[in-house]
Order: sequence, then C-alpha cells, then structure tokens
Amino acid sequence: MTAWVIKIVAACLLNVAAALLLSPLCEGLMRKLRAALHSRIGPPITQPYWDLLKLLGKEDLRSSGGFAYAAMPAITLGSVLLLAALVPMGAAAPMAFAGDLIVVLYVATMSSVLIMLVGFASASPYASIGSSREMMMLLSVEPILAVALCVGAFKAKTLALGGIVNWQVQNGPSISMAIAGVAFFLALQAVAGKLPFDIAEADQEIMGGSLVEQSGPRLALFRWAMWVKQFVLAFLLVEVFFPWPHFAAPLVDLAAMVVKVLIVLTLVAVVDVVNPRLRIDQAMGYFMRVGVSSLAALAFAVIGK
Amino acid sequence: MSTVDQATVARVKEAVAAHGNGHLLSVTQPHPDTLRFAIDKKAVRAVVAALVEQLQARFMISVGTDERSLTGEFAISHLFSLDREHLYVLIESLVSEKDPEIESITEIIPGANWAEREFQDAIGVRPEGHPDPRRLLLADDWPEGTYPLRRDFPYNYRPPAAENVRPQMLEPPKGASVVPIGPFFPVLEEPAYWRMFVEGETVVGCDLRIFYNHRGIEKLGDSVLTYNEIPYLAERICGICGFIHSTCYCQAVEKAAGIEVPRRARYIRTIMLELERIHSHLLWLGIAGHIIGFETVLMQTWRIREPVMWLCEEISGNRKTYGMNTIGGLRRDLPDEIKPKLIEILAGVEKESVAVRNAIVGDLTLQARTKGVGGLTNEWAKKICVVGPPARASGVAIDARIDHPYAAYDELPPRIATEEAGDTWARVLVRVTELLESIRLVREALAAMPAGPICAEIKQEIPADRVGVSVVEAPRGEAIHMVLTGGDNRPYRWRVRAPTYPNLQAMPAMVAGANIADVPITLGSLDPCFSCTERLETVDRRTSKVRIYSHAELLELSRKARSGGAR
Repeated sequence: MTAWVIKIVAACLLNVAAALLLSPLCEGLMRKLRAALHSRIGPPITQPYWDLLKLLGKEDLRSSGGFAYAAMPAITLGSVLLLAALVPMGAAAPMAFAGDLIVVLYVATMSSVLIMLVGFASASPYASIGSSREMMMLLSVEPILAVALCVGAFKAKTLALGGIVNWQVQNGPSISMAIAGVAFFLALQAVAGKLPFDIAEADQEIMGGSLVEQSGPRLALFRWAMWVKQFVLAFLLVEVFFPWPHFAAPLVDLAAMVVKVLIVLTLVAVVDVVNPRLRIDQAMGYFMRVGVSSLAALAFAVIGK
Repeated sequence: MSTVDQATVARVKEAVAAHGNGHLLSVTQPHPDTLRFAIDKKAVRAVVAALVEQLQARFMISVGTDERSLTGEFAISHLFSLDREHLYVLIESLVSEKDPEIESITEIIPGANWAEREFQDAIGVRPEGHPDPRRLLLADDWPEGTYPLRRDFPYNYRPPAAENVRPQMLEPPKGASVVPIGPFFPVLEEPAYWRMFVEGETVVGCDLRIFYNHRGIEKLGDSVLTYNEIPYLAERICGICGFIHSTCYCQAVEKAAGIEVPRRARYIRTIMLELERIHSHLLWLGIAGHIIGFETVLMQTWRIREPVMWLCEEISGNRKTYGMNTIGGLRRDLPDEIKPKLIEILAGVEKESVAVRNAIVGDLTLQARTKGVGGLTNEWAKKICVVGPPARASGVAIDARIDHPYAAYDELPPRIATEEAGDTWARVLVRVTELLESIRLVREALAAMPAGPICAEIKQEIPADRVGVSVVEAPRGEAIHMVLTGGDNRPYRWRVRAPTYPNLQAMPAMVAGANIADVPITLGSLDPCFSCTERLETVDRRTSKVRIYSHAELLELSRKARSGGAR
C-alpha cells in the first residue's frame, strides 16, 4: 500500500520537476531559434532561468489588495503543475487515477482563466482589454482542444488519457486523428501565447495586457506557468496524437518523445517568427474555421477512418 | 529652377484683389516663384477662401512674427502652395498689439488648426473663431500672457514652475471609456499623449496632447545664432532627416539672399537627401513590422539599412548628422575615388530591398493587418493638407521634388508613386516603391554629377528684410523652412514646419471607428517624427572622455555585456 503511494508521489514529483526545470530551457531554445531567424545572435539558452531568478529577487508590488489577488500567481503555477501530473510525459500519467480527459481539459483552462481574472482585478484599462481578449481567445480555442481530444476518446472508447494513448499506439495513424492533431497544434500556438495569436498580450498595443500590472516574483510565476503550460501541452499533443514510433523500451521511448516535443516547439517558434499579430476578430474567425475542421475529424472518427 | 507661368501670377493677383475687396495693400514678388500679398486683416478669411476654393491652393503653414521693431505691429502670414503652378503665395496681415486678434481660417482649412494655435501661443495673436483654441505649443504650467517668440522675450528666460497643472483634455463621449496611449508607450519612440475614446474595442474619438519636447529652436535662430551657425542646429532638428532640415534652411537663406549654388553641390545634396530617404524608409518598414508584432521584418530591414549608414559615414565621416551643409553649398566634397565603392554597396542594398519588397507584397497576414486599416480619404487628406507618403497613398499626387524642384531634381526628376486606397497597406506600397526609386536616383546622381566648386563665394552681407521660402521632400513628406532676413547677421524670423506637423492632425479622421488594435499601426503608418514637429533634441554628455572603438571592439563589448559581464 505505502509502496504504491510512494510510487505515485515519486512519479508526480518527477513530472512536476521535469516541467518546472526543463520548460525554461525549452523557452531558451525557442528564443535562440527566433534570434537565428532574425539574423541575431540572441540571448544565451539559459537566459530564461536568469530572468526568473532576477524577477524572483525583486520586491513584491501589487496594484490591488486581497488574499485571492495575492495568491493568484502561485495558484496559476500550481494549476499547470497539476496539469503536468495529469498528462503522460514519456510514461503513464502519474495521477491518471484522479481524473480523465474532462479533468485535464478543466485544469488546462484554469491558468488562462486565472490570468484573465488577475487582469480584470488589476484596475488598468490595458489589463482589462487584455483580459477580454484572453476570454475571447479562450472561448474560440478551448472547444478545439476539447473536440480534438474527444476524437481520440471516441476512437478508443475511453475517456482515460492513458487508454487513448495505448489505443493510438496499437492501431497506428488514422485520418481523423491526424486532422485532430493538426487542429490541436494550431490551438497550441494560441494557448502558448505565440504569434500570430499573442493578441491578449500585444505589447505594442496594450503593453502586455492582463499581466501589465504584474512585476517581480508575481510576474516570474506567471511567466513560469506559461512556459510549463506550453511544455506540458506539447507533450500532450505528441503523446495523444503522434505516439509512434513506439519501441516498448521506456528509455528509448522517452528519448523519442523528447525529440518530438522539441520538433513541436520548433514549429511553434517558426510560426511565431514568420507571422505578424492578427487582430482579435481575425483570430476568432480563423479558429472558427479550425474548429469546423476539427468537427470534420470527429465525423471521420464516426465512420471509422 | 522651376518656371512660373506669368498668366498664373496674373490670375492669382486678380483673385486676391477681387476678394480683398479694397483691403489689398501691396503685392510683391520677392522671388520668381513667390508672391507676397500684404492685406488688411479684415479680408484674410475672404482671400484665403478664394485661394483655396478657386485656385486649389494648398495651405502650408502660418508664421507669426513680432515686427514691432520694424512696423510697430505683429505680422501673421499664411503660406500657400499652388503645386501644379510651382508657386508659393504668402498672405500677410499686420495685427496691432492693442487688438491682437485675427480672423481664424481653420473653418475653411481644417489643416490650419495647429498653425493658428501655435502663433496664439508663441506671439499672442488670437485666431478669432477658432473651433478649438486650447494650448498647443507651450507647457501646461507656462504662465498666461508670456509669449516666447516675441522679440522682447529673452531666449534663456525660465518661468517659475507651477504645481498641479494638467493638460486640458477633451472628455470622452457618454458611454465611452478612455484608453491612454502615451505619453510614454511601447510603439511611440517619443512622448505624445493620445487619449483614445473606446466603446468595447472600437475607437469613437480621440484627443491628443503633444509638444512635450519643445526646444525653442526657432527662438535660438533669431536671437543667438548667426546665419552660418544655424545649419548645424537645423540638422539636429531631427535624428533621421537632419540633412533635410539643414538643406531646407540653407536653401531658404540662399533664396532670400540670391545666392546661386554650384551644380556639383546641388548633386551632392541630392545624393545625401536620397540616402536619407533610403535609410529612413528601411527604418520605417522595420518599425511598422515591430508595431504589428512582426519582429522578423524589423530585424531584417535594419540589417539591410546598416550598409546605407556606412555609406553616409564614408561620404561625410558620420552615420548621421553630417554637418556638410553651409550657406552657398557644402563644406565637404564627395571624392570621385569612392564612387565605385558606393555603387557596389548600393547594388547590394537594392538586391536585398527588392527581396524584402517581394516578401512583403506577397504576405497575406500582413495584408490582413493593413488593408482597409487607418483609411484616409482623398477629401480628408486635402482638407488636413497632409503631405508625403500619406498624401500620395490617398491619391494626392504632391511631391516637393516635382512641385518646387530644388537641388538637382530639375535634372533628375523622380517618378512619384501614388495609390488610391488611402489605407495603411497603400502607405506601405508607396514607401516601398519610393525606396527603390531613391536607390535609382542616387545611382543616377552619382553618374551625372558634374565637376566644379562645391560652394559659392559670398562676398556681400546678406541684405535685411528679404524673405525666402524653401521646401524639401523629406521621407515623411514636405519640410518647409521660411526665413525673413535680419540685419545682425541672423534671421529676423526663421520658421520650420516638419512634415509630421500636418500629418498627425489627420489621426482623428484615420482612427474613427477603428479597432483599438489598429491604432498603433495607423499612427505608425504616418511615420511620425515628434522631435521634428516639436523641434527638440537631447544630448548625452555623461562623459567627456574620448575613446575610439572599432566596429569589432564594439561588437565584442556588446557580446560580453550580453553574456553576463558588466555593462
């Protein structure tokens, strides 16, 4: 019994630690790639760690009072770390027993909602515009994530993520899962707040949007949460939609998974570099079309393709 | 030199006389392309209306001059251009100190709004019937009744600072909230305070307070500096188009004094002016990309721009602020030995600029962000008297290089690019076309440059009480300098109008009904230059030590700083 608990706790810690410690490294790699495409040298790959250290060492300033407001950055980071424990990252999800697909979706949405709330609570016109944009993005992107994952659930006839992954590994690629995977990837771009969808932050328009009033340790935690989220969702994308080739050897599979996650993040960075920012109405129109395509994936799943 | 048709001159004289209704006092023609009318101030509005409606004259700027030491009164002049006819028309009225009022012309020409508020602030002549006579030029805590451009006002006087003053801003319409952009904002390189009135994300109106950077450059010109010192100050009006302002000033004085500039100097001026356009347009393209989050465009265009800066350094010794202009010509020749090198570099810049143009013209996301955004109709562009690329993108085919040829443009006429759509995309297209056209002009000017002296010999003193009007087509539009010569080796009045001055006034018309996300790129599409408009500069003089770093050393230093060393 205790051995079982220890095993789960250890697996959770492993996932959480990996997400916490490696996500800034991924961000650093993405920045380096971005710089290369800009004909720049760019910051060192370790820069995100230094950014976090610097921000964490600063004074904690708040533009609003209240316990909830004060705790918001920690809760946001906590929510994405919880997500890390719910998602398979190169091995079975450590807390798979705690919840299925539906829980994962809820937890994945939590951080966006919290950032939105912090913007509305900041009493700044830029933050409230940013938050209302965040809300519109959430409403147009979240259904795509849900439909894409539901395609998997429908095919595998289970809501458990582990079950979907296993089904995928055994049954190989299918049209419906490929379309759903692409839709998920496009949504990931928005969820990670990358161009052309960094509309809710839009430095040049609303000076960082929801997070404009956040600084020091609070900003560090929000940043960290966003990096963790992009890292974990990249794993989710790869695990659920592109789990092959599967070697049945845990270490080799883990290595393959990491390589694939890096490929996904590279693509995210490249799309970010070659696009200007869309306007919120244009982005919503775009995601409406992506949403319709993801429904097509569901239709393919129904006819068994 | 452009030739002015005598029939046109007669037609203008006739129209002014007819509408002056007996208030026309005198007509002079100080220069073949300039007509100067002295009229009684009672007839200003009627005459201006006739000029605008019958002769399609374009309002350029108003000049307020304290002529109390000459005539005992203030002079208010409105300057117009008849672009097709290559003619300037100056309408001058005297206003007495006891009754410092003159009819406002803003009702007829919306573009005269700021010009009239400026002479109200600087000279103290009230434009009567002005729709919005708020303070424009002076600081919010500047005491009432103190007019800095009056000649009895010392240039170094500092009024006491006041507490708790704020700009008079318009209130938002009912139901709208305010989104402030500025005074300091990521996409504004310089301070300007826009208040956007928004409902949801839609802009329903806006208000602006600028002139945070006013430096009193005109005051220095007519109180402290001499004719030959001013070009260096004029060059520092703007950090991008400095040479444009020094050329424009020198031309105004040369015209007033009747100095003939040698051909070679004219060609070299043309080359430098076009080089400024090239690097300015590349700079603008990058900033426009940055505003809509397209950093790749910023990084690549600025990389392409670098060799142009190097070219300027090769010619003048400086990347910017060349210090080459002087009255009568130039202080520094362009040696023929470096020509092949210049042409080679230029070819590289052209190749890369063409690649950038092709990438931009085909980019659909870029079009999605700029097409139909920040539209300025042809009608409004004319009403506000917008100049430069924003005017040409709205179908107003004006270009100082064609309309009032200067330097060597009479022999090297540019092909001007116009678009009809009037949106941000049209402004992008106009500038990209101009960029390539400027490269061609530099190449042709280098090839056609004649030998000879670079500076006219000036034997006589510059006579007093002459007027000289000069324009230069800056990258942002037409810059105007007007000089009224004085007796003590300096101008009696030196008036500068930068192109951003009229262009910024078009912003309210351009953002009405827009999405708030489009406001930064709309503003950016004007390529605003506040320091020109406000005529100020800052100088960093932290250390007086001189040490020369090589290019490689500087790169090395910056990389060291980046990898954790001390800054």
